[in-house]
This record gives sequence, C-alpha cells and structure tokens, in this order.
Amino acid sequence: MYNKKFLLILLLLAGTTFSALAQRAENILAAAGTPPYPKVPVSWNRYHDETALKEIYDKMVKAHPDLVSLQSIGKSYEGRDIWVLTITDKKKGLDPSRKPAMYIDGGIHANEIQTSEFALYTAWYLTEMHANGNEFIKELLIDKTFYIAPSINPDSRDNFFHRPNTQHSSRTGRVPLDNDRDGLIDEDEFDDLDGDGNITSMRRKSPYGQFIEDPTDPRRMIRVPDGQKGVYELLGSEGLDNDGDGLVNEDGEGGYDPNRDWGWNWQPNHIQRGAYKYPFSLPENRAVAEFIMSHPNIAAGQNFHNNGGMILRGPGAAEDEPLISRQDISVFDAIGRKGEELIPGYRYIITYKDLYSVYGGELDWLYFARGVFAVCNELWMSNMLYNNASATNVDRQAEQYSADKFLLMEDGFVPWKPYNHPTYGEIEIGGFKKAYGRNHPGFLLEMDAHRNAVFTIFHGYQTPKLSVDNIEVKDVGNGIKEVTAVIKNERVIPTHSTFDVANKIELPNIVTLEGGNVLSGMIVQNKDFGLTVEQKHDPANIRVSTINGNSHVTVRWLVKGGSNYKVSVDSKKGGVASKTSGS
Amino acid sequence: MFFCTVLLGSNYLYAQTDYSNRQQLGQRVAALQKSHPNYVKTKSIAKTLGGSDVWMITIGTGTVEQKPALAIVGGVEGKHLLGVELAIGFAENLLADAGNTEVKKLLESQTFYVFPNMSPDATEQYFAGLQYERSGNARKVDYDRDGKIGEDGFDDLDKDGKITFLRVTDPTGDYILNPNESRTLIKADRSKGQLGQYAIYSEGIDNDKDGTLNEDGDQGIHFNRNSTYNYKNFLPGAGDYAVSEPENRALFDFLYDAFNVYAVLTFGPYNNLSQPIQVAARPTSAQPAAAAGGRGGFGGGRVTNWSAADAQANAYAADRYKELTGTKDAPRTNAESGDFSEWAYYHYGRLSFSTPGWWVPKVTAEGGERPGSGARGGAPAGGAGAVEDPVADYLKWAASEGITNTFTDWKVIQHPDFPGKQVEVGGIHPYVLNNPPYRLVSDIVAKHTEFVKSLAGMAPFIELIDVQTEKIDNGLSRVTVKVFNAGQLPTLAQVGQRSQFSKLIAVRVNTSGNQKVVSGRAVQTIGSIQGRSSVEMSWLIQGTGKVTIEAGSPNTGSDKVEVSL
Repeated sequence: MYNKKFLLILLLLAGTTFSALAQRAENILAAAGTPPYPKVPVSWNRYHDETALKEIYDKMVKAHPDLVSLQSIGKSYEGRDIWVLTITDKKKGLDPSRKPAMYIDGGIHANEIQTSEFALYTAWYLTEMHANGNEFIKELLIDKTFYIAPSINPDSRDNFFHRPNTQHSSRTGRVPLDNDRDGLIDEDEFDDLDGDGNITSMRRKSPYGQFIEDPTDPRRMIRVPDGQKGVYELLGSEGLDNDGDGLVNEDGEGGYDPNRDWGWNWQPNHIQRGAYKYPFSLPENRAVAEFIMSHPNIAAGQNFHNNGGMILRGPGAAEDEPLISRQDISVFDAIGRKGEELIPGYRYIITYKDLYSVYGGELDWLYFARGVFAVCNELWMSNMLYNNASATNVDRQAEQYSADKFLLMEDGFVPWKPYNHPTYGEIEIGGFKKAYGRNHPGFLLEMDAHRNAVFTIFHGYQTPKLSVDNIEVKDVGNGIKEVTAVIKNERVIPTHSTFDVANKIELPNIVTLEGGNVLSGMIVQNKDFGLTVEQKHDPANIRVSTINGNSHVTVRWLVKGGSNYKVSVDSKKGGVASKTSGS
Repeated sequence: MFFCTVLLGSNYLYAQTDYSNRQQLGQRVAALQKSHPNYVKTKSIAKTLGGSDVWMITIGTGTVEQKPALAIVGGVEGKHLLGVELAIGFAENLLADAGNTEVKKLLESQTFYVFPNMSPDATEQYFAGLQYERSGNARKVDYDRDGKIGEDGFDDLDKDGKITFLRVTDPTGDYILNPNESRTLIKADRSKGQLGQYAIYSEGIDNDKDGTLNEDGDQGIHFNRNSTYNYKNFLPGAGDYAVSEPENRALFDFLYDAFNVYAVLTFGPYNNLSQPIQVAARPTSAQPAAAAGGRGGFGGGRVTNWSAADAQANAYAADRYKELTGTKDAPRTNAESGDFSEWAYYHYGRLSFSTPGWWVPKVTAEGGERPGSGARGGAPAGGAGAVEDPVADYLKWAASEGITNTFTDWKVIQHPDFPGKQVEVGGIHPYVLNNPPYRLVSDIVAKHTEFVKSLAGMAPFIELIDVQTEKIDNGLSRVTVKVFNAGQLPTLAQVGQRSQFSKLIAVRVNTSGNQKVVSGRAVQTIGSIQGRSSVEMSWLIQGTGKVTIEAGSPNTGSDKVEVSL
C-alpha cells in the first residue's frame, strides 16, 4: 500500500517536472495560430464529463479574471448546474451586457459529446490567444461579448459518459417518459449485458440467418446475396425484455428530444416526434431561453450538433421559409459560405430542405422569436477519415471499420464475445463503442475544433459594429441649425433582421441629439435630393428600425441654440456609440 | 356596486347577487372542501403574477387519479365571468346533491377536476374601480414596443367608472348610425354607397402622444391566446411564446400528467355544443403545413379536423346539451388562435367540449340568421345582408327584460386628440354582452350541471365480457375475452391514439406456477375502442389452476376476471 502511494507521488512529480520543462521558452518554437504556453493547459484529444468541464471553467476564471466570468443559469432536471462562460475584455469597451454578443452552446443532444469540447475550445482559444498578445483577439474582446454554454443538457452528458449507451442514445434528457404508453415508466432500458459501458449489438448463429462476416474484416456483418445461405442473424441492441411484453429496450429513460422544445412553431409529439409538453417544458431549455431573453445584446448564435459536416440555417419547417427575407438570407449566406471555406467539406445548407423538418428547434427560436442570426454546425463527417467525399453509404461503413483498424488500432470496437442470453440463448455481443462513429477520434478532434471555433469567432466578429461616422452642422437662418449625422454599421449582421422589424421583436435603435433645443427630427432617405421622413413625436430621439450590415443611415435635426452637438446611437444588438460635433 | 360587494362579503353563500371576485371565489372553494370533506380536495395550482390563486377542485373518492376524469375549466376568457360561475356552480350543485343515488354513483366511479377561473387577474377588472373588459393577466407588457410599459391605457373621460367608447365625427370613419336603433352604430357598407360618418375608439386619450389611443395599458397576457394549438407569436396578449404564463403552465403540467382525463369541458367563448364540429366543413387553413390528406382528418402529420368518430361523439353531446340546457339561437363562434379548448382536442388529445353557456337571447322569432359573435364589448359589428348589430339586439332584449343602466347615452366632450371634431363618449357597458344579469345565473348553472352529469354518464369504461375457456387438451386451454367499452365516448380521441401523453389500454394475463402462455401475448396494449364496441382477444395457456386477466387504462378504469384452466 505504502509503496503504491509512493510510486504515484513519484509519477505525479515526474509529470509536473516534465511539463515545467516543456514550457521553457528556449525549447519551444510556437506553431502558428496556437498559444504555445496556455495558462490553462487542456488536452484537446479527449472528452470531459461535467466534473472535468467544471474544473476547466474554474481554471479559466482563475487564470483570466479580466476576461472570463462563470455563472450557473439554472439547474437541470437532476439538479446539475447549467454553466455559461462570459468571455470579453471586462476592462475595455462597453459594459459586457451592452457589447454586441455571440451566443454558443453545445450538448443539447448529449450523445453528441464533442459539441461541448468545441464550444469550450472557442472559449479557451479566445482567452489564451488574448493572453498571448494576439492583436485581433484583443480588439475583438473589446468590441464583443461571447456567451458560451458548453453543455446545456448536463444530466444526459454524464449519463453518456458513466452509464452504458450506444453512440446514439442519451440524446434525450432524464425526465421520465412512458415511451410504450403501457402505464409503466422507463421499465425497459438497454441492458449492458457484458458490463463494458457500451451498448453494442447482439448476433446469433442461425441456419436462417441472412448475414455473414465480411471477408475483408470479420468484425463486420454483411448481408448475403439473395439466394445464398448466411451464418448470423442480428438481434438488435444489447438488452433484455425487462417488462415481459415481447419487446426489447422499448421504454428507456427519457425518450424525448430537447431540441423540439423551443418556442417557435412548436408542435406536439404526434406531429413532431420527440416534442415534450409545450415550449420550454424542459427545465434546461427554460434556463437557456431565459438567459438569452435577458441578454438582448445577443445578435448571433451557434448551436453545435453532430454529425455530417453541415452549417445549417433555418427554417426547420418549410412553411416558414417565406418568412425569411432575401436580405436576411444574404446575411446567412455571407456567414455560411465563409464557414464552408474555413471548414473544408462542411456544407452550408437549409434545415428543412436539405436535412429534415424540425418543429420547435432552438435554431428557429433564435432567429424567428429573438431576431438572432444563428446557425447550427453538425460537427464531424466521416470523410474526415480518408478524405473520400464521394463515398456511398456502404463505402462509409467499410471505411469506419478500416479506419478503426488502421488509424485507431481497433480501439473503437468491442470484439464479438459469446454471451448466454435468457431469451435468445447463446449469442455474441460486440460492435462499435459509444465514443466512435459520431464523435471525433482523438487525433482529429483539435483540428476540427479549431476550424469550427474560428468560424464562430468570424460569426461573432460580424455582429453589428456601430459608429456615429460624421456630423454636419449647417446654419439655415433664423437661428436654426440643421444637424445631419451618419450612423454606420461596419459589419455584416444588421441591428435588426427584417423579420424583427416586421414584428417589432426588439426595440428600434434610438439616435439621440443632445446640446440644443430640437425643433424637428427626421430620417434622411436621400441626402442629395433632401428627401426626409419626419418623426413628429419625440424628435430628439429618432427611432431607426434597423441599420443594415455594411451600411449606414442618415438622420437630421433642426435645432435652436447650442454649438457642440452630441449624437449617440443606442442599439440593443448593436451597442452604443456617440460623437460630438466640432470636437 | 359598492353596496353589493359589502353584502356579498358577509354572506356570500346565500346572498350571492353578483359575480364573485377572487376573495369570494376563494371562499366558495374553501366552503366546498369544508362542507364535503369526503368528496373534495382543493388546491391552488399557481399564483398568477397579479397574486391571484388558481384553484383546482378535485371531486371524487378514493384513488381519484385512477378513475376516469372529466376536467371542467372556467375563466379561460377573462371578460367571460359566467364561465367562472358555470364551473364553480357545477361543483356546488353536484355536491349539494351528493345524497342522490345517481350522483353518488358518479362520485364513486369518476373524478371531476374543476378549475373555476384560469384568468383571475383579468376577472378582477370587473370588480375594480375602473371597469373594462380585460382578458390578460398582470404581466407587464410593452404592447406598442416603444420601450415604455403601460404608458397609454384607457381613461375614464366621463368618470362613470366604466370604459365605454368614443364616437368621433369623421368622413373617413367606417361607421354610420344604425337606422333602426339610433344609439348604436354599424359598419358602413360601401358596396351599397353608404358613407361613413363616425370613427370609433375605446374611451381614452393618447397619453403618450404617439398617434394611437389606448394601445399600451394594463392588458397582460391572455390565457386563451397562450395555448400551443394554432398559437400566433406577436399577437397582442399572446405572450413571448406559447404557455409562457404561470397559470397556463400549471394547468398544462397538471393535465399532461392526468392520464385519467377522458374529456375536457371548457366554459369559454368557443361553442361546439350548440354547433357541433362538421367534419368536412371546418376550415383547416389555420395550420398551413398540412397537405390535406384523407384518413379521417389526418393531413401530412398534422391533425386539423376532428375524426368522424369523435365528431359523432360531439354531435351526440351537443344534442344532449341543447335538450338539457334549453339553449337555442347560439351565435356561430370561431376559436381564437391559442384557444384552450382547441388545444384540449388537437394537442392534448382528449375529447373537448366548449360553450359560453349564455348569449343574448333573441327577442322575436323573425330576423333570420343571428349576427356573429364578433361583438367585442360593444364595438358594433357590421356585415352584409340584414343589419347585424349585436348591441342593438342586446338593447332590445334588455328593454324586454326591464334591464336598465347598461348603456351610457352619447355625450359630447372636449377631447385633446381630435381638435375640430365632435367627440362623444358613451355606448354599451363592458361585460353586459357576454354575461347575463346575475339573477339569471343560478338557473343557467343548474341546467348546465344537468348537462355535465349527462356528459359524465357517457364516459368510457372498460369491461371484460364474454369470457370463455375451452379445454383443448389436458393442461391446454384457450381463453377468449372481449375488451368492451361500456361507455358512449371512445376510450381515446383521434390524437390521443398517437400522443405520448395518453395511455393505451394495457391487457395482462397473470400466470403463476406451471402456467405458460403459448400463444398470444401475456402483456400487450391496444389503441382506442369506440363507444359500445369491443376488441376480442384470446390466448392458449398451458397449465392448470386459475389465471387472472386484467385490462384497463387510467382514463377508462380497469376490469379483471379470473378464469379456471
């Protein structure tokens, strides 16, 4: 006992000595684009449960107190905290709650585990590059706030890590649901018969079987050609008929889809499979929605999912497509097409049209209900294995075995082993582990995390940047001055989407003149021809419904008295800016 | 009014002379529990933002959650005070009659969940110093999205404690005087060359000088615009998203877990008891996604019409309704977006019945089709054909009943927002078009109580009948049984058959010892069984002795038989 402990201490000591040595500047040449001496070292080639994620959050707050804040925005069904990291330069620029903001979340589908690492990598990269003196990031964090919620379905993330699962299970949350509607709740979950933490497959030798081993990789089951005799029959996922109803694994824990629970075009589960009771009927989503609604500075968003290598824009439902104007589509296009460039192989596509219909999804709620330009990246695609973009689905399956064998040393597969099943008798259990298939193999994780992170940074950078660009004062006689100001938006995203303007989702931008007695105020439609629209009510505060991306608006006042005029713009998604004439 | 309230406060049970405010309702709820402790449990399921309790009265015996239940919901529309009376009054009448054999049988076999008032913040406006028709709760909402909340509400210009109307002479106005009733206005029919003379507004001034009158007062979120079916974002009073309010959530949370509810009866503006659903005729445009398909109302996954079988149940209930309540000449109603009673059918998946319980009676038999129910607190409705004017109809009926003091004659006032124009304040009083004088209420409630009892008498009940055991050979028997729905309503409505939030009928064969089911499933579920219909099942069972077979679901009750092999 004593010896073992001693050995452990020695090992730990050796570890720290080694990392200290490795960080001596004279031994390192920084690889471009990566902070060489991160204050918070993280291995971006493995996955973190809630405890490990929280440790990293805490370290980030400690290492970067002027950049990082951590808050719990609510509790999950099982009582776990839902954490949000706020990343911004707290010392410079506007108050963080007034800076135009990018919102990023991951893990709503908790089996899609790399979504949390990707979101967290973004926070890590921003903070460490800032600490490393990167000028672009320093500027960015003066202008912008990033709200990052790496894991918004934390119960099921821990379930995925610590309980037996397939690569597809634990997509739900943990609220009990009677999936087979027999009056018993969650009574027939998967059963980890071989006790390895993975739910794999069951096969049985049978004279009537339709499957044989693939001669090129005997681990793989392939269907025999018609008329030929097979060796195996497949019996589905590892499990038992726990409730004796003749069905296996038909009523597991939960069984709904948290991404069908949002307050735009919500439909019940007999129309939209996976929907729960009503919008935000799940506590995790309610917490996130309340956070977003109380942060009107959020102008852009990213919901990480897996998989398929996609950058999705809404809508999720075909009938909502006409609600997105050409102008707003061009904003999505500018962001999405840049994404295709930054993440080669990922395709910028439309949810309802190119993937499938989704009612009540988070992405649509962000755009339609909150006016946020949000996209969803479906992380990981199997052609990252062999860069074989034209592979068929059959090829893909073969590739998955081959990649496991040659790239991963068969670490992604549980070899077939005999098992005596109470219903099926002598069977074999085996198949891919839960961490392989939809989630990145370790060696590809950091690279794709980086590409996606810089895409979200680009996206956040494109939130509105407003300035009062020019103030012109002209004496028009009788002691009246005409003050004309140009308000500029230097980025791609408008202060208000056209859908927002049409439905008055957010308050308009207010452009205010101080320093004189305002007689009249107006928006200038055409400066050269002097075409204006007057705002009769409250003329000192001109209400501007939107300031488009890479565009400007011109406002004008007739003023009595004063000489130095302060013009300021106050925009919920665009922040505040001001300028004084003659100064 | 003030006098009445004082009187009620001291002696509410016997001297009820007006609708109940929230304290009085709370007292009536408490009194029920006190006088019928064996049958009644009461609970506040939510506090509204205005601090009102949302009451739930559970009426029944024993394990109430395992008996088929009827949910009765009042006050879904805050300006419909009668809905509250119909719900609480049903509970009071039923329990007052608990000694009756028939009622006793109901109370032992079923459960009633009564929610007397889902809009308690809104209904308080009737009792407030300033009376106006209110649908919304106490949530502070920036209705006109100008960054200020509640800065332009109504104003009681004539200081009568009621918000009525302004009529303003205006050549661009849409209204003219009703030629048959000079006090009311109707819409000018431009296709007939009628020239508009008046514009109509609610009583008030443009407090925030933004060019619109009374557009941002204490309006809150409407309970009946906040359900998920046909929900419309951005509509005034609809809320930021469906089911956003504490009272809506509390009710939905309860109902979704109340698997024993077989039907919902709403006392609210929508009426499918006077005009039952027509399967083919009902417009489906409210739900645009669905490519209209056949299959009894299913279209592209969305359900936008009642199934033929459910509509049959509706028609039968409607016949009983008309017969037992003696109501007739009901105005045609269309459900609002986010309507609760539509949700109960289309999303909750239960049979859903709804009635306002009262409308302005016709005075004479002549006059053809009744006007639409579009009368919003007296803003006169207009239309083609005969002069449609619910306010005029009301005045005629009120005169025949000797009802006075429900209309303020038009009076010229000085109004700051219409310089150079004649502005008059007056018109029909709030509430009177949708709520009868209180002296009529007890009779209406009594008749509706009879209807509710009759509706409960149609509840689905599972019975196992025609049990047969055939001995095939030594130790091998075939058991056959019919799972029979003894009630007149289906065990599950159309949506209920597909929804995760309703239970199927589970059938279990309980074997023991050497017994073994060799054909047929020992445990299985079946979908809906229509009223007075059955599903036959049989099993081959090896072994000897007795086995039991049970079938049931929370909303049908269950039955159990024992057979000897």
